[in-house]
Amino acid sequence: MWLQASNTIHYLGAALGAGLAAIGAGIGIGTLASSAMQGIARQPSAAGDIRANMILMAAFVEGVALIAEVVAILVVFLK
Amino acid sequence: MRKAITLLSLSTTLLWAGGGEGPADFIIGHVKDSYDWHITDIPWGKNPDGSPHYIPIAIPLPRIIYHPKNGLSVFFVKGHTPSEIQQELQTRGFTLTPEGKIAAADCQPIYDLSFTKTALQLLIVGILLLWIGRSAAKAYQSSPVPRGIARWVEPVVLFVRDEVARPMLHHHAERFLPYLLTLFFFIWLSNLFGLTPLNSNIMGNITLTFFLALVTFILVQVNGTKSYWQHIFWYPGMPIPLKIFLMPLEIIGVFTKPFALMMRLFANIFAGHLMMLSVIGLIFILASVFQSVVAGLGVAIFSVALGLFVIALEMLVAALQAYIFTMLTAVFLGSALEESH
Repeated sequence: MWLQASNTIHYLGAALGAGLAAIGAGIGIGTLASSAMQGIARQPSAAGDIRANMILMAAFVEGVALIAEVVAILVVFLK
Repeated sequence: MRKAITLLSLSTTLLWAGGGEGPADFIIGHVKDSYDWHITDIPWGKNPDGSPHYIPIAIPLPRIIYHPKNGLSVFFVKGHTPSEIQQELQTRGFTLTPEGKIAAADCQPIYDLSFTKTALQLLIVGILLLWIGRSAAKAYQSSPVPRGIARWVEPVVLFVRDEVARPMLHHHAERFLPYLLTLFFFIWLSNLFGLTPLNSNIMGNITLTFFLALVTFILVQVNGTKSYWQHIFWYPGMPIPLKIFLMPLEIIGVFTKPFALMMRLFANIFAGHLMMLSVIGLIFILASVFQSVVAGLGVAIFSVALGLFVIALEMLVAALQAYIFTMLTAVFLGSALEESH
């Protein structure tokens, strides 16, 4: 069965990889946003600075997830 | 399990069914660099066998190939299908590899210096940038109040100076401001150019982001102070075993920073373009799976709505990635320029 499926199994791997990367990025951005919101609630005057830093940090998290997504895409197209 | 895998293989074969140019080939054709700038096809009459004939709207670009023995050869290829291209290349002593690259017929290593799609678009963005910069600078010569295009440029320049350069670089800000501004405007404009329906994918090309990151890398190393190098090779204020342990980590860190810079920009734009085209490609995939135009039209409503959302998001990402690249360049430069305290 596995031999039979071996020519398409890489699609499963790529899809799982993309999904796991999305989970990781979701946890990361969720934690980041919750802390930023708490920070803004405690110190509303610092909202601008916190927001700018939050966007920057979100880009870091997203960057790692996107690298995983690109690997998944490459697995599909350049098998 | 077997059922699931059969279903999986069925759906993938359907995806690739029909042969020829499927949505997947189209998407890959868009994100890859190519030897001609192919914008679209216009249906025009019929072929002798009854199938519709298409006229491509494309700008052919020269292939510049250096062969160590036969010298430099510059030529245009007129054909579109791989077999036509192969035929034309063979008359000139080259051959087409299965990956779509050019190789010498006599197996000698050759250097492909072709002026490709990305190179031309890069040049267009560069000229556009030069025009914007020149006309904005000229607007200030007659009066201190910005006029014309300077009204749009000024807030962005002030943003980069006050929010990026000055907080990160302090008194060095003025020295590096031209580089930071060039980075910001170049990346932003390239990304926006990639969102026009002109089949352009400039920053989604890893070679280009590699060279942008390389410039930042060289700038950081060249401007590194004594304190910067000391923090890499002999971390101050640590016990000696820890200093030895930290040294390789810090040396790796020198290279991973620009590497992450390169991958982040590339992956964001590349993934954005793929997402956009996949959402639109879904229309054609489902129409061919169900063999009906109605299915395609039904999906089109959702696909176009989702596509609009994605392109709005991409416009945000275009500016955000330019900001992040500039910001991180300023952060790395700032940490390299820091004097010991």
